[in-house]
Amino acid sequence: MTEDRVLDIENLVKHFPTKRGVVRAVDDISLFVDSGDTLGLVGESGSGKTTTAQCVVGIYPPTSGRIAFEGSPIDVAFSRRPKELKRKIRIVFQDPGSSLNPKRTIKQILSVPLKVHGIGTPRDRLGIMSHLLETVELPPTEYLYKHPQAIGGGEKQMVAIARALATNPRFVVLDEPTSALDVSVQGKIINLLMRLGEELDLTYLFITHDLSLMRNVATRVAIMYLGKLCEIARTEAFFRTPKHPYTRMLLSSIPVVTEQEESLKPEKIVSKGEIPSPVDVPPGCSFHLRCPKRMPICSDVDPPMRATDDGRFVRCHLYGAESGEAPAAGLAEMGE
Amino acid sequence: MAEPLLDVVDLHVGFRIFEGYLRVLNGVRLAVDVGERVGLVGETGCGKTTTVKSILRVLPVPPARVTDGRIHYRGRDVLKMRQREAQALRRHELSAIFQDPLLSLNPVFTVGTQLRDIVRDSAIGKGKRLSRRVVEARCIGALRETGMPDPERIMTNYPIQLSGGMRQRVCIAEALSTNANLLLADEPTTNLDVTIQDQILRKLDELVDEHDASVVMITHSMGVVRDLTQRANIMYAGSIVETGETRKLLEHPKHPYTQGLMASVPKLTGEGISEGIPGRIPNYLDPPSGCRFHPRCIHRMEICSEESPPFFEIGDGHRAACYLYRRET
Repeated sequence: MTEDRVLDIENLVKHFPTKRGVVRAVDDISLFVDSGDTLGLVGESGSGKTTTAQCVVGIYPPTSGRIAFEGSPIDVAFSRRPKELKRKIRIVFQDPGSSLNPKRTIKQILSVPLKVHGIGTPRDRLGIMSHLLETVELPPTEYLYKHPQAIGGGEKQMVAIARALATNPRFVVLDEPTSALDVSVQGKIINLLMRLGEELDLTYLFITHDLSLMRNVATRVAIMYLGKLCEIARTEAFFRTPKHPYTRMLLSSIPVVTEQEESLKPEKIVSKGEIPSPVDVPPGCSFHLRCPKRMPICSDVDPPMRATDDGRFVRCHLYGAESGEAPAAGLAEMGE
Repeated sequence: MAEPLLDVVDLHVGFRIFEGYLRVLNGVRLAVDVGERVGLVGETGCGKTTTVKSILRVLPVPPARVTDGRIHYRGRDVLKMRQREAQALRRHELSAIFQDPLLSLNPVFTVGTQLRDIVRDSAIGKGKRLSRRVVEARCIGALRETGMPDPERIMTNYPIQLSGGMRQRVCIAEALSTNANLLLADEPTTNLDVTIQDQILRKLDELVDEHDASVVMITHSMGVVRDLTQRANIMYAGSIVETGETRKLLEHPKHPYTQGLMASVPKLTGEGISEGIPGRIPNYLDPPSGCRFHPRCIHRMEICSEESPPFFEIGDGHRAACYLYRRET
């Protein structure tokens, strides 16, 4: 089992001290990604999904907790990571307009990772770059010498993907790769990512706020709310029987386009309230202020993550063995 | 048939820029009946916002230029109105909600100051002068209507002190406080999270019912249009390509562009996502001849690059601007 466990996060915490108090961006989350999986990390803005990703790629060192990649711990700052690790874990950012240097040509942009990681001799590199562009279905002769501003948003994102793939990675973090794009362009990018995932044997951590997209892309889905995970399950099971009240609220709030989809949505849960500030997280379960199934215990005790049927984890008192259970005992069994 | 509240006919709008002339709107046709909710759907850069701004007469002229077409509001041509008349129209009849409340709210005045101005001015325009107490009561009432907790406190806040959802509620309160007859909502929930979007749209829906207003809902989300409108207009590169009853249109899209768009929307049924539509929106400096969609269309015929297609009736007010639906005569 450990062999194909690519990423294993245990009790990851990332706090940012500010003048107004500590921002609890990621607050004790545990999850794993197996080889060949696409884990969809879904949450609303401010839920901590991007911070989680940034801890994984090393942009921030975690406050506490463990991140292991292929079995070995990687929870150190980016500057202290071995180069080999940086080659294996790559990231694609949300907005290609700001992640690609506007003053460089596509060729210059793509050559950076090759130079840094010493891939190919200077003479081979043009060939490698052309091949990279071909993998993302952009004709090299047409694109190599263009600047990012001369091409469309979708094509820019393709270049960003090519740059991520330049080092032949094992694990790619996709941080909302299509949310800045129109749906007609999104389709092409998603299909490309899925095809490349299979061909190059990639494992993805796919961050998004779009649950309908995850239904079509992810093998497993994790829902995040205010720095904590609410529910993790395999995609099929997740959408068939969503358990956590927040998950249901999310699902029932999605505007859908056909009758058939309408019938798949859970019973309407009227959404109310707003996401509290991560500086001032409510006591007990962080969702209890907006929860339609609130119980007295919810405002006092933070529910532990519990494993339920077929590899699903839910963090809610509704699914506790006994609702009076001490939280510490629950946390210990969280691993699996 | 009664005269529509708003009738946009064959609207052509362009922009003069350094590189040449951008031919953006290419014969937009849009009609809104009294009490009707109409959706205008299209992707980035298809001219949705230009259409709204033309209706409101707030397009900067120059660089913009209306070269052809009519915009009739209750039978009066908005484009031929004098500045004062257009201003009066915006004051009493039309209201708009824009995408980014941080851009439409003034950052240096409190919510209260801005809301009071709107309520007072719209009353003055109707020849009434409201007492301070009445203005205050109306403002607080309008905020409360949008489901805002503690409106008295919100009145003293600056826009940056509020969350995105709250700011958008302030904009909705402003838009509805004037008892406008036609509400133009330009992507009002695009920046918001789904649960907040759901709340705002439901509230908007309720309030529009109460105020008996008509709505033009501009969005790029098919789902939002389906939830909120009775009739949908699909826009591509400056023209309406398909129009019809919302649910029927989305269930059986006819225009190749609409079909491509619908297939690209990720669905909860998990059937996978189509490859999308090849190519991208044309350059308005030199748009394709004939049907502007023809370079990207899989059903392209010879006539498509020669003549721009009129609407062809498919049935029940469902019309598509595509030669595929031309009847043999």
